[in-house]
Amino acid sequence: MAELTYRDAVAAGIAQEMARDENVVFLGEDVADAGGVFKATVGLLEKFGPRRVRDCPISEQAILGAAMGAAMTGLKPIAEIMFSDFLAVCWDIVANEIAKTRYMTNGQIALPLVIRTANGAGSRFGAQHSQAVENWAMAVPGLKVVAPAFPADVKGLLAAAVRDPNPVLFFEQKSLYSMKGEVPDGEYVDQLGKANVLRRGKDCTIVALALMVHRALDAAAILEKEHGISCTVVDVRSLVPLDTQTILSEVSKTGRLVTVEENPRLCGWGAEVASIVADECFWDLDGPILRITTPHVPLPSADLLEDNTIPSVARIVREIRGKIE
Amino acid sequence: MTTKRKKSPAAEIDIGRETRLELYRLQLELRYCEKRAYDLFLQNLVKGTSHLSLGQEAIAAGFGVAMRPDDWTFCTYRGHAHTLARGASMEGVLGELMGRQCGLLGGKGGSMHLTDVTKGAMGSYAIIGAPLPVAAGAAWSAQYRGTGQVAVCFFGDGTANIGAFHEALNFSAVWKLPVVYVCENNLYMEYTPISAVTAVEHPAADRASAYGLPSIVVDGNDADAVYKIASAALAKARAGGGPSLIEAMTYRHSGHSRADPGKYRPEGELEKWLLRDPVVTYRERLLTLGFNEPTLKDMEAEAMGKVDRATGIARASPVPSIDDIEKNVWADGGSAWRN
Amino acid sequence: MDVIMPQLGETVVEGVVTRWYKKVGDVVKADELLFDVETDKVSTEIPAPASGVVAEILVEEGATAKVGSRLAVIRESAAGAVAAQSAGTTAAAPQSAPKQAAPIAPAAAGERPARQAGNRLSPVVRRLIAEHRLNPADIRGTGRDGRITREDVTGHIERGGARGPAGTVRTEPSAVYAVGGATRKPLNAVRKRTRDHMLKSWTTAPHVLQAVEVDFMKVEQARQAAGAAWKAREGFTLTYLPFIACAVSAALAKFPLLNASLDGDDLVLHPRINIGIAVDLNFEGLVVPVVKDVPGKSLPQLAREINDLAQRARSNRLKPDDMTGGTYTLSNSGVFGTLITAPIINQPQVAILSTDGVRKKPVVIEGPQGDSIAIRPVGVLAQTFDHRAIDGAYSAAFLREVTTLIETRDWTQELQGQY
Repeated sequence: MAELTYRDAVAAGIAQEMARDENVVFLGEDVADAGGVFKATVGLLEKFGPRRVRDCPISEQAILGAAMGAAMTGLKPIAEIMFSDFLAVCWDIVANEIAKTRYMTNGQIALPLVIRTANGAGSRFGAQHSQAVENWAMAVPGLKVVAPAFPADVKGLLAAAVRDPNPVLFFEQKSLYSMKGEVPDGEYVDQLGKANVLRRGKDCTIVALALMVHRALDAAAILEKEHGISCTVVDVRSLVPLDTQTILSEVSKTGRLVTVEENPRLCGWGAEVASIVADECFWDLDGPILRITTPHVPLPSADLLEDNTIPSVARIVREIRGKIE
Repeated sequence: MTTKRKKSPAAEIDIGRETRLELYRLQLELRYCEKRAYDLFLQNLVKGTSHLSLGQEAIAAGFGVAMRPDDWTFCTYRGHAHTLARGASMEGVLGELMGRQCGLLGGKGGSMHLTDVTKGAMGSYAIIGAPLPVAAGAAWSAQYRGTGQVAVCFFGDGTANIGAFHEALNFSAVWKLPVVYVCENNLYMEYTPISAVTAVEHPAADRASAYGLPSIVVDGNDADAVYKIASAALAKARAGGGPSLIEAMTYRHSGHSRADPGKYRPEGELEKWLLRDPVVTYRERLLTLGFNEPTLKDMEAEAMGKVDRATGIARASPVPSIDDIEKNVWADGGSAWRN
Repeated sequence: MDVIMPQLGETVVEGVVTRWYKKVGDVVKADELLFDVETDKVSTEIPAPASGVVAEILVEEGATAKVGSRLAVIRESAAGAVAAQSAGTTAAAPQSAPKQAAPIAPAAAGERPARQAGNRLSPVVRRLIAEHRLNPADIRGTGRDGRITREDVTGHIERGGARGPAGTVRTEPSAVYAVGGATRKPLNAVRKRTRDHMLKSWTTAPHVLQAVEVDFMKVEQARQAAGAAWKAREGFTLTYLPFIACAVSAALAKFPLLNASLDGDDLVLHPRINIGIAVDLNFEGLVVPVVKDVPGKSLPQLAREINDLAQRARSNRLKPDDMTGGTYTLSNSGVFGTLITAPIINQPQVAILSTDGVRKKPVVIEGPQGDSIAIRPVGVLAQTFDHRAIDGAYSAAFLREVTTLIETRDWTQELQGQY
């Protein structure tokens, strides 16, 4: 085990896979020489050389189009889209091409590629550089969607994503890049489609993703200590494939579901989870489902405003106290 | 605005007898098969929409003969000819148009997405501009693995105005990728004359200099000319010389798609271009070069026979199973998003 | 940690603790056998839910306890002991007066309508109340606004609040005429449950018997072909039962109304076909373990599974899961060479099939050249159906389908299915 930051875990995960397989290549804007604008890919150029680690022009369509073309002809590309907001610039390639080509060609074309991107708010970057858009990807059939909360998960899930023969969108939360955590040494591969139960309680089951996992854990500690409400916390980690069994199992134990989502309210990932639980766990529910989300507004930039827009620990505590007995 | 065009290295390429016959054979097959697709549409056996390439066969044939079997083709929704030109089966193409099991895509993709990876036909792309960066990626893969393969990407005149065109050209030029971009300028972007919406006369060739590339315009209805230009561009790419951008002038005999009778074309324009029908003019050339009539007639009969046989196979092929709906989203053949 | 009476089967409300493997003061490890419980369907061994020391045993051997009630306490740690003590205190406290569910009073002018949370029962509360046949008025709600919470219901059950089935038949103790020297044999738990279940089934469902005579030639051919090799390889004899189960499951797929249950005004059609196989326990009682998803299984798989369930039933090794989820039942009296049986429907199903004796009989075979007599193995299949749900024509059509399948399927080929 070693203590790594979330950003170093990104580089470690990429390095592990590039060392293992000659066909894994990495491209993006400012990723090679500069080591990435978030310094998440420092050292890769030195380790693997300019043939395998490539800087691109500001051309998101070309970057992802090239990743797609390379993936269908024998390579295993990892492509970076600097800010997840920019997926909108090349959404055709993601949603119309990459997601659908295997299906339309009846399995002829394989696309083993990973698109990694810096997602989410908390860094005061304003509305066009702070969105959490993993729910956009979840809504398109043909894409796997992952969003790790811890450095260990970054490394392990990135490795799993590279090894997955399908297209995977890997959403790194940009405000977590400095966080430290224990990461296994040596070869480490986690599993897509598996949620982790981080904490068990008896009053409600909180299901959260990425940055919201940490806030949920903090809120759960406060709720237990100061308000006698004990919460289970589930880190979803993977939206597609979704570990519905773990979620249903944990909700049936407590009888209450709370989701904590960074997405704006409408069609956040938690809406789908709530719908599944309302269907398959109906007879175990002891009360209404609570979704704690960002309100349905673009994100403001000022500190105070941003902090009070995406779910804060205080708001999570308050909303759970208000709805859960 | 005209630009200076250098003497093309393609001029040096000589075309042998066998190659000529191959070019003619291929154009015949492309023509007859596409016509058959039209007939089947009139019989309501081909559903949805189809974008016919009648009149543009010389481009597909010229490149089809010049390319290596392990090169890759990327094309647009007007891709029947390009897919056939790489050797995909006619029953695979006709079957896909009719939504049958024998279709190249098992009825899952349809006319606009014809693909046969066993023949290097890496997809027909329905979104304008999409195949260009994808072709660049394939070319990158060849460059990376040092295989000498080349990606050839076909697109229409309208594509030269979309963002992905510019991104892909710049990207390919900077990375010196082994990719050949071929703009089939048939003078119309869907229903609008391309000249009405483009800032330059030649939508592709006049932009080549923006990417540090030579401007190349070729008569797209002359299979020999296309073959020569194609061979030169492929050779350049294989030798590490980077991408080429070729504009091939041509004309489509039918409308943009099924739904379009092409009435927006000025009076007499179609007739003028029919006089330059690539298949007809090539036949005349062959005769003047000494090929004899019986040989050509035999080839025509053989091509038609091939189309007839394929039509029979495709018509007899059953429709896909409903079970196929949930297949092949993922590499494991399934579509599960949850446990 | 409390050891509670587990839920063994959908309709089971109580069980008898027949044996304790540990006594107070013994050390126990999680998953080690702790006690045996007998319910109306099965006797099951229950493992300890945690490691520690058995601190209390609250229900003695031979005593009956409700599902969900506390049977024992395991002291895991200091914290565990504290929890056990406080739970014990609650159990001893007198049950508080049930909070009245507020009636829907007409709203006074300007007042909000009386839709208090105390009226609202959450899904899990509704389910528990239905399963245990409780009256919400008897349960005190401690949730917000007096709402009945899940814990309120489970606590109520644990404190012995669950009453037995509503409308328990009260009979006068009958003056049984006993001849001098008669012995009294107390009915065991399984017998009592069977008694109650059979009476209930008989008195709620109008039973109609319908039978067909089936030519088992093709089945017999397949059995002969499998021969001694089967017995040597599998360790058991291949009987008619798996073939019949296979044919019945195929027929049920075409006649789904027979794979159903009545619930008020609805006939609930079950999506899965799970067939219960009645197994006699050496004349001591009857259990009906269930083969799940029969249509998806090959004939050899079915044979193995049926054999396995029967073996485990006889050696008392059935698990609660083996007993639940049945949608149709096969009752096999045929081993004793019966002519025909009219079995009682296994509630809450709507039909049951008896497979009676198969023996060689002369039958008339119609041929292109005229009729002839052949010797064939022939047996009766008799279905009893609930006439509230099904009519004779439907049942008869189903039986015809079963007959056709048994008489015409290539059973030899089916036996060669995957091993």
